[in-house]
Amino acid sequence: MKMIRAIVRPDKTEVVSEALAEAGMPSLTKMHVFGRGRTKGIRIGDVVYDEFPKTLLLMVVEDEKLDEAISVILESAKTGTMGDGKVFVTEVEEAYTVSKGTKGL
Amino acid sequence: MVIRRHQVPATKKAFEDAGFPALTIQSVEGRGKQGGIGGWASEVDPELNSVMGSSNAEEPRFQWIPKRLLTIVVQDDQVQEAVDVIIKANQTGHMGDGKIFVCPLKEVVRVRTGEVGKDAVV
Repeated sequence: MKMIRAIVRPDKTEVVSEALAEAGMPSLTKMHVFGRGRTKGIRIGDVVYDEFPKTLLLMVVEDEKLDEAISVILESAKTGTMGDGKVFVTEVEEAYTVSKGTKGL
Repeated sequence: MVIRRHQVPATKKAFEDAGFPALTIQSVEGRGKQGGIGGWASEVDPELNSVMGSSNAEEPRFQWIPKRLLTIVVQDDQVQEAVDVIIKANQTGHMGDGKIFVCPLKEVVRVRTGEVGKDAVV
């Protein structure tokens, strides 16, 4: 299993989650985060914005679903300008469902 | 792990009793494979899941349910014990109880002293 952490624009959250649901992956967790990227923020007049509000989408998928999930996220979160976000993939050793007490997603 | 909001105090207590006092709590929203049926009401009373699934079919399917994301770091040989504690404290038997993900962790550093690895975890 792999954990996908995708940092996307807040206004793209619904678009991405709908797209993932349509692709058969409705399960995800979102949280509000602040951050900046390579550009170290932007400067508008005298004001420097170095922390932007973003949404962090966290989901765990089976290995064979990974590529599909990533391509869905990349496609739906894209606007083509700076600040579209990043996708990180990490390893998950085990998953448990609390209600049934069973192993697996 | 992602769990119900009102189970946080019970989970904290269970962890404390089991000897895992350190944890991080985040406020998150999410949904599982049922697509968030039942919504907020069933979060308070999980029994509603069985009723609302059928009667509110026309309700928007994909909504966000408030949850708490708890992160705890344990030694390799304590993983099973910690998982059992979480399941015992949070299981109601209804959907929406939450998920536990076990991820490998490469390194831990205690900022105050610079200790690394095992020593940095309580």
